[in-house]
Amino acid sequence: MKILARVQDGTLQEAVAEAAPQLSAELLTVSGGNGRSSEQQLVDGLRSHPAVVIVEAAATVSLRRLREETRARGVALVVVCASSDEVRDAVEVRVDEWMMLPVTANELVGRIQGALRRTRESEAPELTSRAAEHLRYEELLYDRFTGFPTLPVMLERGRTMLERTGRLTILYIEFVRYSKLEEIYGWQKLDEVLQTTANAVRTFYDRQRGDEESLLMVSHTGDDDFIFFTELQAPPETTERRINEIAEALESHVRQQLESTHGEDIGGLFGIYVGATTIFRNPKIRTERLIYRGIREAAQAARSVENRERTRKITDLKTVLREGLVEIAYHPIVVTGTEEVYGYEALARGTLRGLRSPEVMFGVADEANLIWELSRLCRRRAIEGVSMHLEPDQLLFLNIDPHDFRDPTFRYLDVDELGVEHPERIVLEITERTAITDYPKFQEYLRTFREQGFRFAVDDAGSGYAGLGSIANLSPDFIKLDISLISGIDTNFMKQNLVETMVSFANDHGIKVIAEGVEREEEYESVKSLGVHFTQGFLFHQPRFMTSAAEPPAN
Amino acid sequence: MSTEPTILVVDDNRDNVEILRTFLESRGYRVASAEDGRSALAKVEEVQPRLVLLDVMMPGMDGWQVCRTIKNHPDHAGTKVVMVTAKGDFEDKFEGMRSGADDYVVKPVDLGELEEKVRRNLEAGERGS
Repeated sequence: MKILARVQDGTLQEAVAEAAPQLSAELLTVSGGNGRSSEQQLVDGLRSHPAVVIVEAAATVSLRRLREETRARGVALVVVCASSDEVRDAVEVRVDEWMMLPVTANELVGRIQGALRRTRESEAPELTSRAAEHLRYEELLYDRFTGFPTLPVMLERGRTMLERTGRLTILYIEFVRYSKLEEIYGWQKLDEVLQTTANAVRTFYDRQRGDEESLLMVSHTGDDDFIFFTELQAPPETTERRINEIAEALESHVRQQLESTHGEDIGGLFGIYVGATTIFRNPKIRTERLIYRGIREAAQAARSVENRERTRKITDLKTVLREGLVEIAYHPIVVTGTEEVYGYEALARGTLRGLRSPEVMFGVADEANLIWELSRLCRRRAIEGVSMHLEPDQLLFLNIDPHDFRDPTFRYLDVDELGVEHPERIVLEITERTAITDYPKFQEYLRTFREQGFRFAVDDAGSGYAGLGSIANLSPDFIKLDISLISGIDTNFMKQNLVETMVSFANDHGIKVIAEGVEREEEYESVKSLGVHFTQGFLFHQPRFMTSAAEPPAN
Repeated sequence: MSTEPTILVVDDNRDNVEILRTFLESRGYRVASAEDGRSALAKVEEVQPRLVLLDVMMPGMDGWQVCRTIKNHPDHAGTKVVMVTAKGDFEDKFEGMRSGADDYVVKPVDLGELEEKVRRNLEAGERGS
């Protein structure tokens, strides 16, 4: 078998050179460098009938062309990438295998085998029936996202371990995220977080290997979970303690990485739960089956840890609801130019540890079906603070969650019960997305609330769900420009142009514009010159806090 | 080595490239060019332009994608990207903003306006991050 490689990275070259003999393959190399002649050499090399071609994404001018040429000849294509953009390109072009640098010879061997298998199978599809309990695991040949080897590749090693010492310990790391994450932050953020997790698991693994040489890692794509195999040098009595140590260390390491890379708020939106089991060699049962069964048990153990955690969080949330453990931060909204405080936006946070971040708090509430109760509590708290924190002529901006539309208490808003003396001072903020998605309901409530004197703001305007026309149809009193429009506006003329258009449009329709997320003096200058009526952001007074009604406000 | 900033002109239409190149060179800028998305990205790597004039409508990788790729790249995020678009409507500009573009010109290109926009973006590039 022949391998055709064009790689420049030194360590990659070594890895390829080491991998080739392991596959009993002859290695043909094409010199690197950009330009047509190198590309041409590569295509020429195809004529010598290699079974697989390995290239670096960065050095390949036309991946698409290379894919076409290799496919036409039934040659497998493996691409080594240095960034997630390169990965996306490779996936788009449908290469047979991709890998992320750095790459070891062992990984290469596995990937090349996979690529060859895939190429063979695409030519002559076989119908093999597999036992149901294996199907879920075996379909996942390679983890496309994290670049870790997956189960079938590692099975041989696991079997060797089991047969060598008679036992194998399996750690199952379940990685759980709140459904709200994608909704709030978008899929790109989710990808980034998954990547951080994968990297964190990998560095943990690399570190642990020093102590626990038999530690082998696989990953399991479908649910973004990870599986570790280890022989655990410890004697049986201390095994459980050792497993717990590893599990705790792993969890705290990953959480720390997530928090330092993405912030505490996002870190709190994930759960990492570790379950473990030890399997023993049994000559009566096929090794593969033993291992799959072990994985299932470890997964179940992880899940029960998760359930305990989840239950605890829900219990905590109920405590929050019962005792009103929510604090409100009032973020000032100032008149552009004079900087006189026009009003405050109320943002709620939990005071119980683990539920401090609003996203986590609402995420747990969402899962426990307690969103209405939480929203009501936050609204009540926000309004209670008005007399203490706001001047009589200042407005209170309140966020409305999409779920609130289905809450009968909200729909038939009892102004007296809520303690709202002057609805004209309250501005209800609805995100552009909610306003457009729930359009018919929204229109209906608008009428009811307006009759009572409430005003409306479309929040996150410019985040892309609606055209200006749709927003105008809602006849809001205010439009709040999303931070993405304001950030760096002083050096971005596109944003300046857009904001100018929106301000002019707003003025034509009697709508006032609020710029969110102004953090720098230069941004404020731009916003001022564009005629935006009000401004909000960290450049101005720090938000003021209010804890529960009985306690004095914290500063 | 010359210190005039390099401008990369990206357009699948060679005549357009030549018009812009001739004009910008007469104004003292050094100009490089590319005819499609992939080669534009390779050129950015090679030539490290301060500003890219990017046609939106191109076969293969479209201008928005090229813009996003440049702006998301750790080494090139500071490069100014000016989209050249056939329509200048609001939605189009929004798409541009979301892709990270810094400015836009509408076809057929008014050369005086183009010069002004190139100048102000290069200046902003010096001022800002």
